[in-house]
Amino acid sequence: MQVAIQGPWSPLFGRLTLASIPYHTPILIATFAGVAVIGLVIVGAVLYYNKLGYLWREWITTVDHKKIGVMYIILGLVMLVRGFADGLMIRTQQAMAIGPNSPGILGAQHGFLPPFHFDQIYSAHGTVMILFAATPILTGLTNVIVPLQIGARDMAFPYMNALSLWLTTAGAILVMLSLFVGDFSAAGWVGLIPLTELPYSPGVGVDYWMWAIQISSIGTTLNAINMIVTIIKMRAPGMSWFRLPVFTWTTLSTNIIGLTAFPVLGVALGLLGADRYLGAHFYTAGLGGNLMLYTNLFWIWGHPEVYFLVLPAFGIFSEIIPTFSEKPLFGYTTMVAATFAIAGISWAVWLHHFFTMAAGPDVNGFFSIATMLVGIPTGVKVFNWMFTLYRGRLTFATPMLWSLAGLFLLLAGGITGMMLAIPAINYSVHDSVFVIAHFHCMVLLIGAAMFAAVSYWFPKVFGIQLDERNGLMFFWTFIAATGIVFIAMFALGFEGETRRLAYIYDPAWRPMLWTEEAGMMLYIVSIGYFARMLYVSLRDRIPVPADPWGTSRTLEFLTHSPVPFYNFAVTPQVNARDELAWRRDHGLEKTQPDAFEVIHMPCNSAIPFIIGMLAMAFGFGLIWRIWWMFGAALLGIVIAVIIRSFDKNLGYEIQPEEVAAMERNLATAGIIAEQPARKPLTEAEAH
Amino acid sequence: MSAPATSPLDHPEVRQASAWRYIAGFITSMVLMQAALMVTLHQHLPYQEYVFTTGGLALVALLCQAALFFGLDISRAQIWKSVSLVLTIPLFILSVGLTVWMFQSLAQRTMIMPVTTVQPTLLE
Ligand code: HEM
Ligand SMILES: [Cu+2]
Repeated sequence: MQVAIQGPWSPLFGRLTLASIPYHTPILIATFAGVAVIGLVIVGAVLYYNKLGYLWREWITTVDHKKIGVMYIILGLVMLVRGFADGLMIRTQQAMAIGPNSPGILGAQHGFLPPFHFDQIYSAHGTVMILFAATPILTGLTNVIVPLQIGARDMAFPYMNALSLWLTTAGAILVMLSLFVGDFSAAGWVGLIPLTELPYSPGVGVDYWMWAIQISSIGTTLNAINMIVTIIKMRAPGMSWFRLPVFTWTTLSTNIIGLTAFPVLGVALGLLGADRYLGAHFYTAGLGGNLMLYTNLFWIWGHPEVYFLVLPAFGIFSEIIPTFSEKPLFGYTTMVAATFAIAGISWAVWLHHFFTMAAGPDVNGFFSIATMLVGIPTGVKVFNWMFTLYRGRLTFATPMLWSLAGLFLLLAGGITGMMLAIPAINYSVHDSVFVIAHFHCMVLLIGAAMFAAVSYWFPKVFGIQLDERNGLMFFWTFIAATGIVFIAMFALGFEGETRRLAYIYDPAWRPMLWTEEAGMMLYIVSIGYFARMLYVSLRDRIPVPADPWGTSRTLEFLTHSPVPFYNFAVTPQVNARDELAWRRDHGLEKTQPDAFEVIHMPCNSAIPFIIGMLAMAFGFGLIWRIWWMFGAALLGIVIAVIIRSFDKNLGYEIQPEEVAAMERNLATAGIIAEQPARKPLTEAEAH
Repeated sequence: MSAPATSPLDHPEVRQASAWRYIAGFITSMVLMQAALMVTLHQHLPYQEYVFTTGGLALVALLCQAALFFGLDISRAQIWKSVSLVLTIPLFILSVGLTVWMFQSLAQRTMIMPVTTVQPTLLE
């Protein structure tokens, strides 16, 4: 059943040989040196300051939703830098390799990247950005914020939450590993079929891509279940459905999409795996297979996935715009309805990604109209935000600027999306860089929302200000760079440049390609400001009050900054839709509870981390066909799960006196404080 | 908290089935799947009836498993799960139905072969 593969294979190392290490590629050696230096510095610092135990106890084994969320965001930011480096290389190659006389260096005929390497880079860029940067950052944000917004102690399943994080991390590590051991897929982030089949991609690249996504998307699916249950079951008393903050609503709808869509991706990739490993014929051209089946399944997940990303972004705007307009959100009910309308329609539009596949005008017409219908609820949202701004008392702090810039990107991306949704237009611009410019407006809108959210909630979570001056510079340089790169890209799309070109055959595109490259330079400057913003904030550590903005409206700004690890000393009673705004209007926002209760918390666990690392070994074994490693890792996972099922850990309790003490000295309860060891409850105490 | 947290099995939403339910579920699934396999192997039924028979058997197997393995019903403990399952039906119809329609259209427009050599699609 198992298929024969090209090249050497040994029982001990599978397909892995010394030749798989790309020590002859200068770019990769430099990258490796960079990564190794950074890694050594981090490890050295941890050891020097003796923080290994702290890291293990407070972060790696944690089940606290805020810490898990922060780790998700850090993971996403690291991958964002990786994805940006890929993007920079794509742009630089295209700026260099123009016309037959363009020089080539580092073994390339033109430019500095041979085609096979270039193909891996754009494949990695898309995969990393969508699945390992945007998805973790948004998941992290919902993890941190939603339980606070609904007044919960933690997520419904804290242990499973940690498991989701470590599975996603395992996938990300596999992607990074492909840089230095073997190579990555060269078949695009969508996995162009039949290129991903074994005869056309005989190496391990596609396997890296496939298993990294497969493992991390299990994490995402588990997280979706966790979020849905949390929102349904864990709301504080009085937090009725129509008092939920809009960000929580969008998180709910986004995770319903996640829960229903990610399994389709799992199936699509699983069948590809059956083809590649077992010699099945799901997607082959002959023997009963069907290529289009893959494309269809991929986009049944793929389109809902883009809404999975954009809905939380809409939720973020819906929190920030009212805060900085000092007004309640206009049209709350229509906002919620629009959110669910978008989620619903997102299931019936996927075919717009392959209008050119040859379906008839009736089919294309149906999907075209369905796609354009998305514009209606989206329009409702935009008008709601504008009416919220209208006659508001506006403050242009960085979160607000990011949100407003996001609205412009939404406009550009949405309108070009509408153009693409018309099959007649689509036939002429499909697979051109016009499409790339369209969806980058959309994903950069999501990027804008992410930065808005980080600058909005950072002071809340960490209890210190985020440096506004560098934040503003970061914003302006980033937005200017976006304009330069993507306006030029729209133009190139109309001039007929197709996507994924390692060599530019038409020198007429040079001016626009060089414009794009200039934009990329500006992006580098903006990253510098981002780093400086973090540095200055961590250096100065200016403390902030519970509501750092003074005009926030929702429940998370009621508890202290930094948020204590138990979230709320006493579970709040919710009285209104914008609870904090309501309390402010009634002069109640400073009231403190007069008595504390026992707080019951879950204990840390090393098992999620262990399972995550085993999942990585599982993937690595499959990728290199090292069967013993794959089998041992799988067995290890099963054993870890069994051990966990028999572990009757009942969590621990914090006594009222201890809560009172921590409430007086908040630094001892914040996110970076180390907690003393607390004994788990015994069976007898629990009754 | 309604039940003590110490034993998960005391919670009706965790304890989904009992030994006899697992056995019954296993036997029913086996029988139904076996029946579908027999129908497929013997090829007695005309195409249309064949599709409906196997589809019907799969549906019954699904319902048996939902009821016997997962104990889904409309009691307070299970209603959320049952409702979630029911809510996936529209999605299922949407994604599978539209896919069938698309492939039907593709087959007509790209697989131009003598009728006798092609298998009929679901809509024919
Ligand atoms: C107003 C809503 C939208 C419309 C009408 C729309 C329409 C389209 C259409 C028709 C295509 C296919 C173009 C082609 O390949 O010929 C497309 C591609 C794409 N769109 Fe959108 N879109 C919308 C929103 C979004 C959002 C919100 C996102 C992401 C968050 C997004 C991300 C993408 C991506 C990633 C692709 C290309 C994928 C690829 O081929 O690699 N779109 N869009
Ligand atoms: Cu789409």
